[in-house]
Amino acid sequence: MKKNVFSLNDEIRSIYINPNETLLEVLRDKLGVKSPKCGCDSGDCGACTVLIDGKSVRSCLILAIEVDGSTISTLEGISKDGLSPLQKAFHEHNVFQCGYCAPGMILSATELLKKNPHPSEHDIKEAIAGNLCRCTGYIPVIEAILDFTKKD
Amino acid sequence: MQDYKYIGHSAERVDGIEKVSGAALYTDDLEFGPDLLYAEIVEGPHAHAMLNSIDTSEAEKVPDVLAVVTGKDFPFNFGLYMKDRYIFAQDRVRFYGEQIAAVVARTPIAAQKAAKLVKVNYTPLPKILDPLTAIQEGADLIHPELKNYDRVPWFFPTPDTNIAHHRKIRKGDVDKGFAEADYVLEDTYEVPRYSHCAIEYHAAVAKFDHSGRLTVWASSQSPHTQRNLFANALAPLGIRHNDVRVIVPHVGGGFGSKAGVTMEIIAAAIAMKVQGHPVKVMWNREREFYNTYQRLGVIAKLKIGVKKDGSITALKHDLYWDAGAYVEYAANVVNAVGLSAIGPYRVENASIDSYCIYTNLPPGGPYRGFGYSEFLFGLESHMDRIAQHLGIDPVEIRRRNAIKEGELTAYGAPMNPNGLLQAIDRVAEEVRWHEKLTSNDPNIAIGKGFSLFWKAPAMPPNASSSCFLKFNEDASINLLVSGMDLGQGFLTVMAQIAAEVLSIPTSKIRTENPDTDRNPYEWQTVASHVTWGCGNAVHKAAIDAREQIFDLIERTKHLPRETLYLEDEMVKCTTDPGFELLLKDFVIYGIQMEDGTFKGGPIIGRGSFMPEFTSTISDPETSQGGHPNVHYTVGAAAAIVEIDKQTGKVRIKKIVEAVDCGKALNPSLVKGQIVGGIMQGISTVLYEEMKFDHRGKMLNPNFTDYKIPTALDVPDEIIPIIIEVPQPDGPFGARGMGEHTMIPVAPMIANAIDNALGLRITSMPITAEKVCLALLKKEKKK
Amino acid sequence: MAIPYEFGYQKPATLQEAIALLAEHDKNARILAGGTDLVNELKQGFRVPEILIDIKGITELKNIQLVDDQLEIGALVTFSEILHSKILHDNAYILFEAAGLVASNGVRNRATMVGNICSAVACMDSASPLLVHDAVIHLISSQGERNVPIQKWFDDNRKTTIRPNELVTHVSIPIPKVKYAGAYQKMMRYSGEDLSQANVGVLLFADNTVHVAFGSVGPIPKRSPKIENLLKAKGLSADTIEEAKQMIEKVIAPITDVRASKEYRLHMCKVMFVRALNTAQARIKKPKLITKKLHYEKKCLQSE
Repeated sequence: MKKNVFSLNDEIRSIYINPNETLLEVLRDKLGVKSPKCGCDSGDCGACTVLIDGKSVRSCLILAIEVDGSTISTLEGISKDGLSPLQKAFHEHNVFQCGYCAPGMILSATELLKKNPHPSEHDIKEAIAGNLCRCTGYIPVIEAILDFTKKD
Repeated sequence: MQDYKYIGHSAERVDGIEKVSGAALYTDDLEFGPDLLYAEIVEGPHAHAMLNSIDTSEAEKVPDVLAVVTGKDFPFNFGLYMKDRYIFAQDRVRFYGEQIAAVVARTPIAAQKAAKLVKVNYTPLPKILDPLTAIQEGADLIHPELKNYDRVPWFFPTPDTNIAHHRKIRKGDVDKGFAEADYVLEDTYEVPRYSHCAIEYHAAVAKFDHSGRLTVWASSQSPHTQRNLFANALAPLGIRHNDVRVIVPHVGGGFGSKAGVTMEIIAAAIAMKVQGHPVKVMWNREREFYNTYQRLGVIAKLKIGVKKDGSITALKHDLYWDAGAYVEYAANVVNAVGLSAIGPYRVENASIDSYCIYTNLPPGGPYRGFGYSEFLFGLESHMDRIAQHLGIDPVEIRRRNAIKEGELTAYGAPMNPNGLLQAIDRVAEEVRWHEKLTSNDPNIAIGKGFSLFWKAPAMPPNASSSCFLKFNEDASINLLVSGMDLGQGFLTVMAQIAAEVLSIPTSKIRTENPDTDRNPYEWQTVASHVTWGCGNAVHKAAIDAREQIFDLIERTKHLPRETLYLEDEMVKCTTDPGFELLLKDFVIYGIQMEDGTFKGGPIIGRGSFMPEFTSTISDPETSQGGHPNVHYTVGAAAAIVEIDKQTGKVRIKKIVEAVDCGKALNPSLVKGQIVGGIMQGISTVLYEEMKFDHRGKMLNPNFTDYKIPTALDVPDEIIPIIIEVPQPDGPFGARGMGEHTMIPVAPMIANAIDNALGLRITSMPITAEKVCLALLKKEKKK
Repeated sequence: MAIPYEFGYQKPATLQEAIALLAEHDKNARILAGGTDLVNELKQGFRVPEILIDIKGITELKNIQLVDDQLEIGALVTFSEILHSKILHDNAYILFEAAGLVASNGVRNRATMVGNICSAVACMDSASPLLVHDAVIHLISSQGERNVPIQKWFDDNRKTTIRPNELVTHVSIPIPKVKYAGAYQKMMRYSGEDLSQANVGVLLFADNTVHVAFGSVGPIPKRSPKIENLLKAKGLSADTIEEAKQMIEKVIAPITDVRASKEYRLHMCKVMFVRALNTAQARIKKPKLITKKLHYEKKCLQSE
């Protein structure tokens, strides 16, 4: 067990961690942060996406012990002060169906828009290509992001 | 057309904010406290073997292990339509990876360690991995007990064979029909198995508490059916229906995989052995592939005769289904196709034989489309080939044969009102069917493909739905139903139906996924029937509540009830424009009379619905005489594809799909189903492929090698078209459309590829590799 | 799924500390950089170590730099950083191109190029570009430094010539003296994230020298001297390209597996070889390669 200190959704957290625990497990089981989901446990699906220092990563492929000193954001943090304009756009467009991929998809889109506020359709596809969704056919996701960036 | 305030509007999803904010909780997100136990499954490494003995002694010694359970603990069989399944394997394993035992421990790691120590002794048996081998004379029997299984009366197993069910249609005189034909085309089409790939795994937590209460939290499409099957299967342990409670939070996709009962019964059963503790059974991605339902594979032999003008004179369709090791649900897929494999056409002379065949592959089961995607791949490919031979336009041949309202289906019942011709015309127009496309790049071929589709819900004739509607003090509503929102938007349209009747905004209606203790009965959320079936129940409940309101006003205000109506959350009167009474002032508190007393009481609506005109009783030799399906939903679709001739890679430029949903209660959600369904269809035809080795073990149970598409793989354009020919018995004229949207995709793409390259591919999937190698072969022949 | 094995974890702050830890634990240690391969292996119980040495604290391994005529890519450089590197874009475009086809953004943000060639899974994307560039792997251990040319790096599928106590510090690429242009072609089952079923890297020089490498068609990626010699001897023409294309079936021997058949792999290698060569020829004619903005322009890259 090792004590780790990191920022989670703008709150400094310190917690004892075993080296064999993944970040996804620690977030969900030890810290009660449930929006990152497990959909494959091998980095293929993107449901476990979180932002570390602003970059989207697979929390199932990261050991929790690695994030000591980092800044981690999940959808809980993004929603803390009410829905972000991007989340509102997703809601207004009825984008998601089952919603299981939504946390990862929204974080990937958040990262993209921070780097590139006016992405092309292809930029959007590339940014969310690692988030598998079986319901929507992706087109509603892409359209909502495009529409959102045009409103800006 | 009637003007509605809520119906037909693209209301925002009632669960939308939960889902975009991360607040939505799924089964594995629920907390059960520090007493939660974890189960690990012991699986059999044989596709077919006798199970001689199980030694659990070493596993039991592992610290933190509370119990090791095996088939001996639960010698019960279960199943939805035929009881051929077991909670754990009994004397025999029938597919690779079948559950043999489970270890229950304090931690997942202890359970995993102990599971590896369970020793099982097997005698391998010959395995049968394809349906044609399974029906050969003298084939080993996978279920020697077949003839003794309890089943619904409309299933017809062939005793002492591997044929678990045989659905036959005999209509008119097919010999005569073929004799009259100017052209007969016969060929065989193959469609392999597919996996649903909901991103959320199956998950179940069960607790059998010290009062004898069994509660199961599960990711399920079928809470009441689960309660029923758990209670029936566990009845020998003293469990009754009112002891069982199933609670379903949000579900991360189903597509059929979470219908009926699969792994959830393992949680329910093992909870009985660790009374007092909650126990969690989590599937993982691999098991999602090899130990839940899979879409059935089929080998379909199709023969169609036509006149020179393209009109069909006879159709013979023989379908050999690879239904897997257990067919308690799969047999109804086979049955549904047996009833409908003429497609959306007028066919006077038809013969269908649909065989449900046991194999030693994982159990088949329901999958979006319920067999219709599979048989329409062949049928709609065939229609194109016939048109080509006769020199008729592929759209025109479909128009000529399209079934119309009142014409007879394969089993002799009249076809319901439908907009098939409108769908055909709208799609042809939108895709500019008659415009010739040419490529400037000699390496790129362009083609167009067309396909029709139809599908009816496949349900028992007495599948029913119900609803409670309760008003709250502020005239907001809790709508209690037991249909499931799997993402399709069910809860939102239920709220819209109640909103329309009661003039309460959708945003003031709370409706959530069910708890079988609190919410009234619903059969299951399958078959694209809940908008229709449960929608009718909600409609009735809302009217029931409205009538109670009018009763009270009539009684207390002495206004004639026929003059009363609801608008903007108020009761109003057509003859007294000054009369307005806010619902919130009386739906709970009642109305105060001059003497100070109150009349009324909380308004609670109830509604229940059963399609009372259906029957599965018919002549088993011909299937004539019954009315097994409530109605068909129909539509048409077309695609434009570009193919790289060197690599075989297919790029989809445009897809247009029109679906007749009777009434689009929420057009945005209908379009969501169209786009999502098309993408799932594209995936099955172009990318997905289950691979099994000679042992019957799946080789690619992961997203690394079972490819479902990403955002980079979407078509350039999808145009959804909504057709609205009302369903007379549907809520506001609606009928289901969720599954249908993926059905036309595979044949439409196959037809487009043939149109582009002159290359007819008769087996799915049509991967780049398959196209490319077929092209190379064709060039060599030249 | 919980990782059912226990192991230690150290995060050295300097190269010296890392080397000391490696010397102490030798083959019982594994290096953790991006972890996208490693954590999956740990979950599967594959090569579970006594200790993980997390090198992400060693800042000197994070650089991408031009030192004289050498382009250096540190052990901690991720594929995303490659995609944002102007130096790489301008000097080793083929590597930039291949990086854009590695997995997806969420993996590229973490996975490193050096990790890719250290995992040495046969379907890796980095190897062919590094092979055609005659890259050199730089290692360090308590015994000192060692350089291994990329052609001698791969031993087998998932096996390299690294020694247990060694750490890769960086990979260097010599900048050619003459003008050059490369192209990378990857065979995938669709446009989204997929492991390479075969890949071809081509580097074309102004003096008509051509370097050709094939990946994912055998246990290790390989250059093809036969094809290179043929093209060098006869020059690039439609005929010689055709001759070289036909030679491919003698140069590689792909297998049939769950991802593709050997027939299709072989055919695709021919197609990709010609396309890569054509692309490289088109690129070398351009005055300057830098035309597009750097972020998320995978499609533009492919169609260039």
